[in-house]
Amino acid sequence: MNAPDNPNPFDQAAWIAQARQLLDASARDLDAATASRLNRARQSALALKTRRRSQRWLLPAGLASACALLLAFAIWPQQHGKISAVSAATSAAAMGTMSDADATPADDTPEFYQDLEFYAWLDAQGKDGDG
Amino acid sequence: MSGIAGTISVSLPNSACPRVETSTHQRALDQFLRGVERRALRMAELASGNRDEALDLVQDAMCGFVRHYADKPEAEWAPLFYRVLDSRLNDWHRRRNVRGRWLAVFNRDSADEEADAVAQAPDLNDPGPLLRLAGNEAALALEQALGRLPLRQRQAFLLRVWEGFDVATTAQTMRCSEGSVKTHLSRALAALRRALEDHQ
Repeated sequence: MNAPDNPNPFDQAAWIAQARQLLDASARDLDAATASRLNRARQSALALKTRRRSQRWLLPAGLASACALLLAFAIWPQQHGKISAVSAATSAAAMGTMSDADATPADDTPEFYQDLEFYAWLDAQGKDGDG
Repeated sequence: MSGIAGTISVSLPNSACPRVETSTHQRALDQFLRGVERRALRMAELASGNRDEALDLVQDAMCGFVRHYADKPEAEWAPLFYRVLDSRLNDWHRRRNVRGRWLAVFNRDSADEEADAVAQAPDLNDPGPLLRLAGNEAALALEQALGRLPLRQRQAFLLRVWEGFDVATTAQTMRCSEGSVKTHLSRALAALRRALEDHQ
């Protein structure tokens, strides 16, 4: 490794060992302010982990809500169609009833009720005549 | 009754375990970060040449590690943490190079730039050979020699020599091939040896 004419060979293994020691010492002997800032950095990273853990339920909850919403949108038009059909039928029936009912008030006069017996007699006479 | 007792005896430990595991995991994570933070800071400081920048880089690396890899097995934490840090250092260097290029475009006063570059360069006339020096002078000589290395060579040296990672782990951490790690390390050792021999 070293040149043969080098009177003081550079001992790589020894140098590497010393380099490691020096680097260890430089990392160990940090000033208090830097150590404190490192501590704060570590705490904020760990808080991130705690926060992530506490927010873990948000994803399933969000998915469930989205599914429920999709389901609602998928089902609602069909149900709405049925309801419309039913309500239309009901309205039609109601309209039919109304037409019958509307017919009655036209005849629903005091005279009509007073002459009801006469109409019954007339009907019976008619039947007898037919018969 | 026996059914109820059985249910209780089975269900209690199941509900207690995650909380215990969580606090143990959190403690282990804290312990791990406490163990690597100072070395990480020194690495970042050697790369950026600035302690404040280095602190930001380490905090960023810690957050990235916790966010993405904290759930991995503990045995994998060290390489993964240094991988995140290495990535942050690469990004930082890339950003600095881009910024430097833009500044060079807008600031054409090359004479001033050269003067600034000289002022910012480490003073090579400082301490003598590492093996003949003691204490702060030796540390300073090493720091200056390391500071002059290219980023990849310095990372290969620090991960292999200081962290004690094997070639495969270093390659995984630096996201390169094992051959590249060997090349970077060989060049780093040669450059450091030259730099330190010059002081003899």
